[in-house]
Amino acid sequence: MSDPLQAALKVAASGLSAQSTRLRIVSENLANAQSTGKTAGSDPYRRKTVSFATELDRTTGVETVRIAEVGKDTSAFVEEYEPSHPAADTRGYVKYPNVSMVVEMADMREANRSYEANLQVVKQARELIAMTVDLLRNS
Amino acid sequence: MIDQLLSVSTRNALSKLTETVNQGSSAGPAPAAVGQPSFDNVLSQLASSVSGKLQNAEAVSMKSMTGDVPTRDVVNAVMDAEQSLQTAIAIRDKIVQAYLEISRMPI
Amino acid sequence: MQGIHLFDLASRQAEWLSVRQATVSGNVANANTPGFKARDVEPFHDVLAQSQLTMAATNPKHQEIDASGIAATALRKDAVTEQNHSKNTVNLEMEMVKSGEINREFALNTSIVKAFHRMMMSSVKG
Repeated sequence: MSDPLQAALKVAASGLSAQSTRLRIVSENLANAQSTGKTAGSDPYRRKTVSFATELDRTTGVETVRIAEVGKDTSAFVEEYEPSHPAADTRGYVKYPNVSMVVEMADMREANRSYEANLQVVKQARELIAMTVDLLRNS
Repeated sequence: MIDQLLSVSTRNALSKLTETVNQGSSAGPAPAAVGQPSFDNVLSQLASSVSGKLQNAEAVSMKSMTGDVPTRDVVNAVMDAEQSLQTAIAIRDKIVQAYLEISRMPI
Repeated sequence: MQGIHLFDLASRQAEWLSVRQATVSGNVANANTPGFKARDVEPFHDVLAQSQLTMAATNPKHQEIDASGIAATALRKDAVTEQNHSKNTVNLEMEMVKSGEINREFALNTSIVKAFHRMMMSSVKG
């Protein structure tokens, strides 16, 4: 690490970016929680998941984080009996997205918490750099 | 150290210097008044106390970096050192000023 | 001349603290990465003792060193108090505590350096 404090900023920035992507996915899931298909028997919105991965940054030698992939939750859809719905299949059941409000809200809280923590790190790294440069200032 | 300085005020020191000049003997320090520390004693004590405080401040600071020292102790030691250093510098400046002023006096 | 010794030590401590900050930063960013093990640096005292370059491999496939030999090492097994089901060992609260420690030590370090620099300058001025 040529300058550890700059490296710290870079890593924290990657954390912020990853967490905000996660938050975006959560809000997508929440927004589409009731999105069914259009035609009879078709699939509704499938819940998205994020997975993180560590990436070694060659220039600074620190491990940044990135979103490895935005995947799909393969669990089963929720079925509701609504024969009059345009998306109802032959038995009269409509498939609703496999999004659970409770799970998404909990995920959102976690993402928020991680985001705040990364923000704290950014603030601190910036403060440390400022303290160092301040040494030169006339006292 | 501060109380020694208070007991030998700048004016006092200056008066001793003028005494020395009036007597016409510039060599050797003025004889110390009975019971009062002589000026050069005070000066040397001042110098050594400043140096002692500086060394203490440095030692405490280095100890705080390698180990665990209460923050207030470090701050106190450094402040002490700075105070005595600034005082010594101020006195040095005053003495030099006084000497120059005296040296300008027509004999 | 002894003052120079102080400035050198302060400079090394500042560097160690910066590396520690970068490590904390890495831990916090990777708090949700599966399989990530939280890391910390060797204590400053030990770093001083070994003045030459050291390499502490946390994973045989990748080694991390910097110019002054301060190596980030994985937390020792007994220091890990919890591990969730995705094998991530980062504890955000502990990282915040470490952050606070770093802040305090760094502030003290820069203040000491500033004060001694000031004293040196004022005594040198005519």
